[in-house]
Amino acid sequence: MRAIIFSFSCAVLLGVLPGGAQAQAPTHPPDFTGIWGIYRGAPGADPKFRAPAPTPLVLKPEYDKPYQARRAEEAAAAKRGEQLATPGAECIPYGVPTMMSVAIYPVEFIQTPKQITIIAEAFSEVRRVYLDRPQEKIEDVAPGYYGRSVGHWEGDTLVVDTIGIKPTVTLRGIPHSPQMRITERIHLLAPDFLHDQITINDPVMLEKPYTYTVAYKRMPSDYEMVEFVCDNNREYIDANGIVRLKLHNK
Amino acid sequence: MILHAFRTKAHCAVVLAAAIFGSASMASAHHSFTMFDMSKKVTLTGTVTSFEWTNPHSYIEIDAPDEKGVMKHWSIELGSPSILMQSGWKFSTLKTGEKLTIIINPLKSGQNGGFLSQANLPDGRVLYNGPRQEPPPGPAQK
Repeated sequence: MRAIIFSFSCAVLLGVLPGGAQAQAPTHPPDFTGIWGIYRGAPGADPKFRAPAPTPLVLKPEYDKPYQARRAEEAAAAKRGEQLATPGAECIPYGVPTMMSVAIYPVEFIQTPKQITIIAEAFSEVRRVYLDRPQEKIEDVAPGYYGRSVGHWEGDTLVVDTIGIKPTVTLRGIPHSPQMRITERIHLLAPDFLHDQITINDPVMLEKPYTYTVAYKRMPSDYEMVEFVCDNNREYIDANGIVRLKLHNK
Repeated sequence: MILHAFRTKAHCAVVLAAAIFGSASMASAHHSFTMFDMSKKVTLTGTVTSFEWTNPHSYIEIDAPDEKGVMKHWSIELGSPSILMQSGWKFSTLKTGEKLTIIINPLKSGQNGGFLSQANLPDGRVLYNGPRQEPPPGPAQK
């Protein structure tokens, strides 16, 4: 208890805690509850809250070849004014980890001592991180969109392990094996700035782990999450795998 | 590295603002700007037949004469409600039967559709298609 009071006083003295309206006394473990908007930082903003650059993506050659070929096809289609099909075009959910950073849609963290529930405004996607139980073996987890996530605290950082993402659920088309584990290190840089450092570990398909960070800034306290049900999707995939737009006939 | 729109997700993410700022951003950026001719603008003045405040995109359905003066029905794509609300749109902003002037980026296919660039509302306000009080940026240059 004394250590906490001491740390808090130090934090105040060092000016780490801003005196803003949203400043909260640091707790241990920290509480990530709230609604977090994607943060990029306008030009001129303090760069320390922005996400650092990702590490290079290095797929093993036998997996990189088809991946690059697909990207080349997508680029060629774009030149023709066409877009190749992705699951997203038919409103299939993004799953983990993509749901953590879809466009500028915020994510909501609801934290209790035993579980953190994360709700993405985009497509109302939900994942749960269990804090009070161990991870299962990969072969015992039914592959799905969100996998199974367990977390534990390392100091003020929440470390999350996720397994069981099915093959069609990818980050930007990057292929992965059933052995993929996603490690997230989530921490507050300041009361209103949160980083989720996401590492894709896949000894089968990746030469080395791939790490990127999603930076968040707390939304205004009166922000209410907007409903998002994909019930007016006008896009469809034609017989050639091209995304087309359905227009209303009248 | 600017994240390019490989994923087609049928919502108007004016994430292109993100693409411009976000060299380190991993936000799934998308938009099917490839379907629209972002270099071309067409102005339509007509009558709203419906305003669909929906996901993944909102739509303005409008009867308006084309460039040759022939009355046509148009389907105009906007961002999702969450995005639009940030720049002043509401579910009740447009009513069936209202006259409206809009500027669109038309579909490359030549069909009667497009991506909204700007809406000049009957009450005099001008609203854009994104989270900001300005037109959304075009596709990011790589």
